[in-house]
Amino acid sequence: MRARAITGWGVVSPLGVGHTAFTEALSHPDSAREAAFRGPTEVLAEVAPGARLAEVWDWDPKKWLGPKGHRTFDRLTKFLIVAAGQALAHAGIKRDREFVALAPDRVGICSATAYGSLDAITELNRVAELEDPRYINPTRFPNTVINAAAGYVSIWEDLRAPNTTIVDGNCGALDAVLTADLHLCRGRADAFLVGGGEVLTEPLYLAMRKLGVVAEDAEAPGLHLGEGAAYVVVETLEGALARGARVHAELVGFGTSFDAPASEALLVHASARAVEDAIRLALEDADVDADEVDLVCASRSGFGVFDDAEETALASVFGASTACVAPKRVVGETFGASGAMNLVALMAFFDGAPVAPLFRGEAPKRIRHALVLTAGFYGNVSAVVLRRRD
Amino acid sequence: MTRVFVTGMGVVSPVAVGVDAFDAALAAGEDGAAEITRFDHEVFDRHIACEVKDFVPRDHLTAAEVRRTGRCAQMALSGMRQALSHARIGPGEIAGPRTSVVIGTTMGEANVLGELEAAWIHEGDHVIHPARLPRYGTTLLPIHLARAIGARGLVQTLPSACAAGNYAIGFAAELIRAGRADVVITGASEVLEKLQFAGFARLGAMSPDFVRPFDVARRGLLVGEGAGIFVLESEAHALARDANLLAEVGGLACDAHHITRPHPEGVGSLQAMRRAIETSRLRPEQVDLVNAHGTATQANDAVEAMVLGQLFQAKRPAVTSIKSMLGHCMGAASAIEAVSCVLSILNDSAPPTTHHENPDPGCDVDLVVGGPRAMRCDVVLNNALAFGGYDAAVVFAKPGILEDVSGPVCASAVEA
Repeated sequence: MRARAITGWGVVSPLGVGHTAFTEALSHPDSAREAAFRGPTEVLAEVAPGARLAEVWDWDPKKWLGPKGHRTFDRLTKFLIVAAGQALAHAGIKRDREFVALAPDRVGICSATAYGSLDAITELNRVAELEDPRYINPTRFPNTVINAAAGYVSIWEDLRAPNTTIVDGNCGALDAVLTADLHLCRGRADAFLVGGGEVLTEPLYLAMRKLGVVAEDAEAPGLHLGEGAAYVVVETLEGALARGARVHAELVGFGTSFDAPASEALLVHASARAVEDAIRLALEDADVDADEVDLVCASRSGFGVFDDAEETALASVFGASTACVAPKRVVGETFGASGAMNLVALMAFFDGAPVAPLFRGEAPKRIRHALVLTAGFYGNVSAVVLRRRD
Repeated sequence: MTRVFVTGMGVVSPVAVGVDAFDAALAAGEDGAAEITRFDHEVFDRHIACEVKDFVPRDHLTAAEVRRTGRCAQMALSGMRQALSHARIGPGEIAGPRTSVVIGTTMGEANVLGELEAAWIHEGDHVIHPARLPRYGTTLLPIHLARAIGARGLVQTLPSACAAGNYAIGFAAELIRAGRADVVITGASEVLEKLQFAGFARLGAMSPDFVRPFDVARRGLLVGEGAGIFVLESEAHALARDANLLAEVGGLACDAHHITRPHPEGVGSLQAMRRAIETSRLRPEQVDLVNAHGTATQANDAVEAMVLGQLFQAKRPAVTSIKSMLGHCMGAASAIEAVSCVLSILNDSAPPTTHHENPDPGCDVDLVVGGPRAMRCDVVLNNALAFGGYDAAVVFAKPGILEDVSGPVCASAVEA
């Protein structure tokens, strides 16, 4: 792909809200992990009293959004709006919520989630089932469509270029890079918020627990569930340079691959082949050799079969020495947001945060090329290649 | 960049399953509205919807596929198999990394979720068998399809509410133009679910009987369900296998304004339709037919008619709303309507807007009424609006009509 500029980022995460809190916590992964995977939970106190989940702790939307105008927004929408506002400010596109660069009709959003509307649907289903379907709250009904949350971001921030919500399991936020790239190619906007969000909800937690994939405690194998939202601002390189924006990194390649399980009875599929193909396609797209990659932000989550498949593919493409970090170890598995979390973690590394937590190789002295990877649960894998701007 | 052609279509709709039957049903003005059978509707003051009635999943799917899918994916799979057959693509012929699947929806497997949540809410977590859980998951819609044909490219769901079909088709065409895929299976699928019905009832948006687009006595929409699925191919891929080119996919435009209400002046919608036409390197007067969003709510039809008036001014295209027959199939609506757009191009005929008896003087459009209208259909515009404040429009054209549509969308664009 044509090189694209990342000119800003924002994050709402279990490690904190905003660049400073996130970068600081990421720099001390062990204590950050302890703080992130706290218990008892705030969100799931009733269903998961003993669980250690990486929630966005002490979440006070009023602190970030002001007192008014967001009463009907669900938790995901608020996460997205806060992350979006930070990213737009960081990119120098907005100051105090006013546009100071670019115009509303030149900024769009490509936002991923996997289970985005589950909370809203459940809330309404409860009323419908326990009371009467005639009394569901009509102001909450629009939240049942998966794209509502990103729609609210466009409306809140007055972004009038294309608004796209993407669902591809854990791969959505990296797929959003491709969506933004295609729209930039066609001149539909000058900048896009690219990323996504996910929230921990009762049905999601219960479903994952029932499937037997949730880790019993913080150190046990299995998925360590998290939540949050993150965006990077992606612009044409020429446009970013022309407006004098700081370019934190360039996006230079995208690859994706799907590999179905052989057995007709299976849906879930950990595929080393899909991981390897996605990586190779992204490297080819970036015109970068495997040995030029200094760091991999991996999909590694604690879910054994998927971690094993990823290891196999990483070994096959990169050999033994390339440094690999696992941001999910500190922010948890955030599903549709996970690619965005990996992207902003990489932005923190590019900005000088110590590269951690590593699970392969040694921390690189200098990062020029990095690869970000996310693997879905069904044999779907996406990867992007980034380059530090010299 | 390359041209993108529709080479196959499949449809599961409230009036017919299969493209030929659908074509005949539209021409005959058949009605999909009937009393609801799929859930208990006694408590509501509305009882009519446009259900897909004669869909037997096993007619189109293997036993294993039926076991691992919900109704939404089942209709999409059926649509895809029809489309592949229509495109004369055999088993395994498009397997591999150059084939992607991009599917639109509003709520995906809403029935699966509805059943799981009803059991959970009334009886508790313990009654849910884990094997039933993975059938929910909006992610899975394109994955079921990709798996069935061995596609190994992008597997993406675009949940763009009631504009999802246009979003998916438009994005799929962009993937091909950018060289990211040779073939994309695309379209949208949606199931009727009690919660959606309750929501539209609560919003007071639903008609008690029929859908009367642009009629002065219009009383709202009816919800429907179904799937419209397409095979899109790059020009080179289609020509290499001597495919029948049904229509060329032109421009897409999309934006967001208010979460449920159309903009009072229809700003976003006007811009979306204008850009879709401009991106196709066409002038508004070259549009022969508009397949309108036409939900038959008071607000939608008034604003849409006004926007069409502003956009086309003196040289007005024919306008039709097949929601009068199909109801509003939500995410699938614009995909099913896209099938109708391509049929119009193939037949040089516009399907009628039924139940239109008393034209609304506030909706001054050249509506196709009283039966299909034989007319030249070189260029058809498919318009859609949605929750999330979305407006999305896609242009379809007879092969050979469009000039190069690969350039930048806006004059201010920095890239060629």
